[in-house]
Amino acid sequence: MFSLADRVRRSGLFTLGHWADRWIKRRGPSRPPLSLSYRQIFILPTAFGWVFGLITLAMLMGSLNFNNNLGLLTAFVVAGLAVNSMLMAFNNLHGLHLRHCWAAPVFAGEPARLRVNLANDDSRPRPGLTLSGQIEQTHFALDYGQIDEVEVTIPTARRGWMHPERLRVQTIHPLGLFRAWSWFWPEQPVLVWPRPAQPAPPLPVTGGGAMGTKALSEPQGEDFHSLRAWREGDPLHLVAWKQSQRHQALLSREFRQEQSDILEISLSSAPGKDIEQRISVATAWVLMASREQRSWVLDLGTESLGPGRGEQHRNDCLRALAELPS
Amino acid sequence: MNAPGRASAVYWTLAALVISSSPHLAAMPPWLVAVFLTLVAWRWLAARQSWAPPPTALRVFISLALIVLVLVASGGHWSRRAATTLLCMMMAAKLMEMFRPRDLRLVAALCFFMMTAQFLFNERLVYLFYLAAGAWTATMALLSIQRLDSMALPRPGLGRREQLAAQGRQAASMILLALPVAALLFVLFPRLAQPLWGLPQQSMDGRTGLTDELTAGSIANLFLDDRPAFRVEFPDGQPPPPETRYWRGPVLTELDGSTWKRSRLADTSSPLPEAQGGNEFLHRVQLEPHERRWLFALDHPRAGPDDSRLTTTRELLARNPITALTQYDARSINAPFGPRDLPSSARAYYLSLPDERNPRTRRFASDLRQQFPDDDAGLIAHVLEWFREEPFRYSLATAPLGRHNADEFLFDLRDGYCEYYASAFAILMRAADIPSRVVLGYMGGDWQEAAQYLLVRQSDAHAWTEVWLDGSGWVRVDPTAAVSPERIDYGAWGAIGEPRHVLDREWLRDLRNRLDRAQHTWNRWILGFDAERQQRMLERLGLPQGTHTTLAILMVIALGLVTVVLAVLLWRRDRQRPRSAAEKAWRQLLGRLRRRGMIKHPAETPGEFARRVLPQLRAQGRDFVELAEWYSQVHYGPRQIGRERQFIEAAGNFRPG
Repeated sequence: MFSLADRVRRSGLFTLGHWADRWIKRRGPSRPPLSLSYRQIFILPTAFGWVFGLITLAMLMGSLNFNNNLGLLTAFVVAGLAVNSMLMAFNNLHGLHLRHCWAAPVFAGEPARLRVNLANDDSRPRPGLTLSGQIEQTHFALDYGQIDEVEVTIPTARRGWMHPERLRVQTIHPLGLFRAWSWFWPEQPVLVWPRPAQPAPPLPVTGGGAMGTKALSEPQGEDFHSLRAWREGDPLHLVAWKQSQRHQALLSREFRQEQSDILEISLSSAPGKDIEQRISVATAWVLMASREQRSWVLDLGTESLGPGRGEQHRNDCLRALAELPS
Repeated sequence: MNAPGRASAVYWTLAALVISSSPHLAAMPPWLVAVFLTLVAWRWLAARQSWAPPPTALRVFISLALIVLVLVASGGHWSRRAATTLLCMMMAAKLMEMFRPRDLRLVAALCFFMMTAQFLFNERLVYLFYLAAGAWTATMALLSIQRLDSMALPRPGLGRREQLAAQGRQAASMILLALPVAALLFVLFPRLAQPLWGLPQQSMDGRTGLTDELTAGSIANLFLDDRPAFRVEFPDGQPPPPETRYWRGPVLTELDGSTWKRSRLADTSSPLPEAQGGNEFLHRVQLEPHERRWLFALDHPRAGPDDSRLTTTRELLARNPITALTQYDARSINAPFGPRDLPSSARAYYLSLPDERNPRTRRFASDLRQQFPDDDAGLIAHVLEWFREEPFRYSLATAPLGRHNADEFLFDLRDGYCEYYASAFAILMRAADIPSRVVLGYMGGDWQEAAQYLLVRQSDAHAWTEVWLDGSGWVRVDPTAAVSPERIDYGAWGAIGEPRHVLDREWLRDLRNRLDRAQHTWNRWILGFDAERQQRMLERLGLPQGTHTTLAILMVIALGLVTVVLAVLLWRRDRQRPRSAAEKAWRQLLGRLRRRGMIKHPAETPGEFARRVLPQLRAQGRDFVELAEWYSQVHYGPRQIGRERQFIEAAGNFRPG
């Protein structure tokens, strides 16, 4: 089964699009931070602009034929308005500063929210701007000197590093006759985590047997682990008197039993027909372990992450899962 | 897309539509205007009350009904007015489905087209105001519609009224900045020497001008009409004296019952005799459209423009009816043409009278003939003397004439104006065996000293006669002059001696003359600019071989230059002055830092900049970081007058050491 992107890539469309992308990138910096220069700004009449042009042409031909100078003057004033409109559309984009463009990682299938940080460094307002992604567009405006962040969502399909299609910042200000636009790409590819399996099978039971779950409720190992605030029911021999005195609060020593309370998430032991399903299950387990505030080790076969806990460890694991070759 | 914004876009579009269609409406039957305004009012209410669009079936039905109404109003007679009426009604029908930005835009854009359509009927100077008002409103509409489609800048400090004022200024400045391009195109856009397709047959919108028939009352209508008929300049010097300002138009040679008509035979041209002696007057005429072919020229025309010709009765005829303001040069000689023999057939033609009419005139004529057997000139002089001595009066308030029109006028009524005199006199002359014909045209004119041109109004319309005198040829005789020299000296209204209507006042006439001078300048420089003038202008620029290609190249180059200048202008205009006192203080502070070599990069926020220059400012660094944060709060945060004032003071006191 080929995804849509694959199919597009195999067809001629891809080469054409690819060529266009390369052409745009050749014209100047294409990733933030960048300031839009004239080489990066494209401008063409809108559909209404073409209709307006036709109307003006009719005015022109009629007046010319009947040698009607006031009619000609009207047609020329309208043409002047169109020229101004074109220049103003261009000006509205020219010098616009794109500072950043990035997206937080998302799970495959969820839309990624690309955030674009823009600054209007010039001393003139920029009304009527639009940021367009593949499926969505956002209208915004920047007052002069203003910095703003605009979001546009893009769809995600596969885990891994996604290179989003080019984004477009455009304007049809002031009369809607001309559309000026610029293309750019986010600075970095978007990390797409694997889709967590749903419903997820229960967490695996690790080598230490049932001890694993016990470890949390009965924190009595041999290895000193950490200090924590004294809780009702802590035995007196666990109180760290010296430290408590120093901190003006009762602190308990916490011990952990390394062996048994660490959850072992192994890709090879995850159920599933193929590697993608197993990655999904492993992802779901990582999320569950993180939610339950446990420590875990992620064994990917080639490498192993952890043991560790907390958000940082979770993100590292998710990233490693996302980056796995399929 | 907020509701008030949507409603305001609709209001502006409706305003643009009403303004641009107002002259069209004025030419429509009132009941059609009522239908049009009803649809506009409905759309206005729909925007106000957020009504839904009517169902498609109803829209189609109303649209078809409107087409039928237009057909009924035009009486099946297709004219340009019918076309613009249809356009107006179709725009009104479009209002029923004007609910999306694209429909609003289309209506606003068509408003420009409606204005151009009106200029095909009238290009007078006052329409410049119409153009300005219409263009501004339509631009306002387009700007308002644009706000629907995309985000406008949130301006919390500005009220609705101020936002509207800002938008109004934007529309006005967009139009003003469109003028350079418009002026350039106007001068350089290649003009057509010949039209691509047929000329319109109608341009006067129901108003009347001089006709080519003379019946009682046809000129009287014009006496109340102060519209200009034409204007004349004399490039060689002063105008001719007032008593010789006869502007020759159609010549009526056939008497059909009691109506004088123009002969169809007159159109056949034959060589005309040259004048003997006299002064030649070169004059340049700007003729208002009158939908007929004749060109008016000072009596007697000798030569007209290239595409005109002189008929056997010495009328100057253009090739096509005059449907737009036309400028031409004519040469005239103020002496009679001839002498040349009148062939006997022509003599008989110019003597023919309808049978069994005007018996008393015929009897009077044969009496006169006996009195002056061989002296035509003596006979004419006697008749003019008779006009003077008998109680003839010059008056516009007169009675219609019946079958024996000359009899009734010469012996009973004796109360009339130029056409009564001219007609009766010509009949009398024919009865007395003297060939005669009636000439229509204008007499007199207002010399505008300030602008050096002669203004001839419709109210100067006049009729006089020409008689054939052996040895002299056709000689002009104006019987009206015999009765009322004032008509000749002071114009028609001078002869009546009382105001023609309530608005007929001296100061008003003066004002009208002033306005006409402006109109004349407009006609001369704007409306009179044609292919020929364009050519002359190019020659002056040193481009004698100025073809359309040269013009086009010149136009493109100049357009490019103007666009560059405009781009710079727009760029500078958009750079705004500081909006608040706080910003001004901040910019001044940045200026002081710049002098110390600390330049804020445009992309930096105030805070980022302050932290970057922290080491350079040493002891003052902390203060500056604080100031920068303070500024961010004051500038971007909610407005607090007190804190703003404190910031301005602190920023003003900050001197980088």
